[in-house]
Amino acid sequence: MKDRIAEACRKIRQERMLFPEVAIILGSGLGGLADSIEHPTKIPYSQIPHFPVTSAQGHAGNLVLGFLSGVPVIAMQGRIHRYEDFTPDDVCFPLRCMQHLGAQTLIVSNASGGVNPRYISGDLVVIDQHINFLGQPSPAEHDQATLSRNVDIYHHGLIERAHDHARRNGFTLHQGTYLATLGPTYETRAEYRFFRKSGADVVGMSTVPEVLCASQLGMRVLAFSIVTNVALPDHSTSTNHMEVISWSEIAAPKLRHIVTGLLQELAGPAD
Amino acid sequence: MLEIYDQVQEACAFIRQQWNHDPHAGVILGTGLGSLVEKIEVEAMIDYDQIPHFPRSTVISHRGRLVCGKLCGLPVMVMEGRFHMYEGYPLKKITLPVRVMKHMGAQLLVVSNACGGMNPYFKCGDIMLIEDHINLLGDNPLIGINDDRLGPRFPDMSEPYDLHLVDKALELARKNDIVAHKGVFVAVSGPNLETRAEYRFLRAIGCDAVGMSTVPEVIVAVHSGMRVIGFSVITDMCLPDALEAADVAKIIATATSAEPKLRTLVSGILDYERARLGKA
Repeated sequence: MKDRIAEACRKIRQERMLFPEVAIILGSGLGGLADSIEHPTKIPYSQIPHFPVTSAQGHAGNLVLGFLSGVPVIAMQGRIHRYEDFTPDDVCFPLRCMQHLGAQTLIVSNASGGVNPRYISGDLVVIDQHINFLGQPSPAEHDQATLSRNVDIYHHGLIERAHDHARRNGFTLHQGTYLATLGPTYETRAEYRFFRKSGADVVGMSTVPEVLCASQLGMRVLAFSIVTNVALPDHSTSTNHMEVISWSEIAAPKLRHIVTGLLQELAGPAD
Repeated sequence: MLEIYDQVQEACAFIRQQWNHDPHAGVILGTGLGSLVEKIEVEAMIDYDQIPHFPRSTVISHRGRLVCGKLCGLPVMVMEGRFHMYEGYPLKKITLPVRVMKHMGAQLLVVSNACGGMNPYFKCGDIMLIEDHINLLGDNPLIGINDDRLGPRFPDMSEPYDLHLVDKALELARKNDIVAHKGVFVAVSGPNLETRAEYRFLRAIGCDAVGMSTVPEVIVAVHSGMRVIGFSVITDMCLPDALEAADVAKIIATATSAEPKLRTLVSGILDYERARLGKA
């Protein structure tokens, strides 16, 4: 694993000599944020040794290096999902590379179904807890401290600052629990009821493997869900992927405000 | 997932050599429910091990052959004996017959199973129409690169079971004096039966009946655009505070004795389908 990471990073450094501070993983329909990266270098996953290659619609499949609000960043435009039959190790490989290149903070987003009836489509949720229903152990390769409890996987300080930026920009930011399923089927009504009872606010098919890995690597994690449909099991409507993508495009500017705002703070004089 | 399309083609080509008809419905018979086959005007019987890419059923009380013919005047393909996750098969393999049924022309999947009842209003031998399900298999038959020829990447699951047919089946049950309920079926991988704590958990999350099959086939049927009706025969009661040790022989006996009810309901649904087709 270490050798494969080193090999991939050598290739990335050949393309662009940059020491990123922040790693960004953009989910369904959010790839647009990668377009606001300044002085970008785009590297298709297929050109990086050992990188898994994605197939989902709405996921581009490039690694983008450059500056966002003056901070050196590395972004995954298009992510790797378990439902494509990638192992947890595959899913986390790009993240391990980004950390190896220097990133200390992970900002990750996803499109998700709201199970909390107070949410509406297009809302943004900052994740402070998760429930792992992926059915298999996450990152198989444990470096050290595998059995640590990870009380604070999601960084409280960053969550508070995300709330500040939401308030300043005048939109609602919820805080809630994300539940990860394997997918690729959307949930049945019975499953939504079960997830709601389990304490989930949003449900999706990603994020948890990467977040667990980042936490193991000692990174600070900030994670967002865009609510693309609200599942009300007693008044169920069908879900389609196009709708999911268009709602996430509507909510994308909110996420952009928060992310660029946070990065400006990082770039500014040390506080 | 990309190899499946070709496998389906090959299996269909083989079946068409022996039975060249377009089935209206595919039927999957669960544990102890195989005698529905007696009602079929059989036109072809093909052992699973002859059909390319079909897995082999390893469970006792599951025969392992595909019966093609007419039931209630409709062409059907019936799986006598099914495959389970606990036999060690990948879910893609288990669900291949459903894709074959669809590719042969079936628009409707009729699926049955023997299961444990957790809703205290149920009794052994009752029938439950599956209204919805929860997948606790820890796996999904659609994992892998999606083949758009087979179905969409992210299938909607807001109504996996045709609720109109569920109502129809309940009506048939009332007319024939059969006790039938509707409820939520949960699939677990098995093969061990549940602990009392697990039954409490499953009941608490909203399940009425628990079994080790059906959900993979239904997911694939929905993925490929089929309508689905699912029958669960309650073959033992799983009440955590009054739990009796499960006895497989007894379970199979209950399934066998409840089988005529299932036969009535399945034939009734197929009669209804035939009438509906006649009008169209």
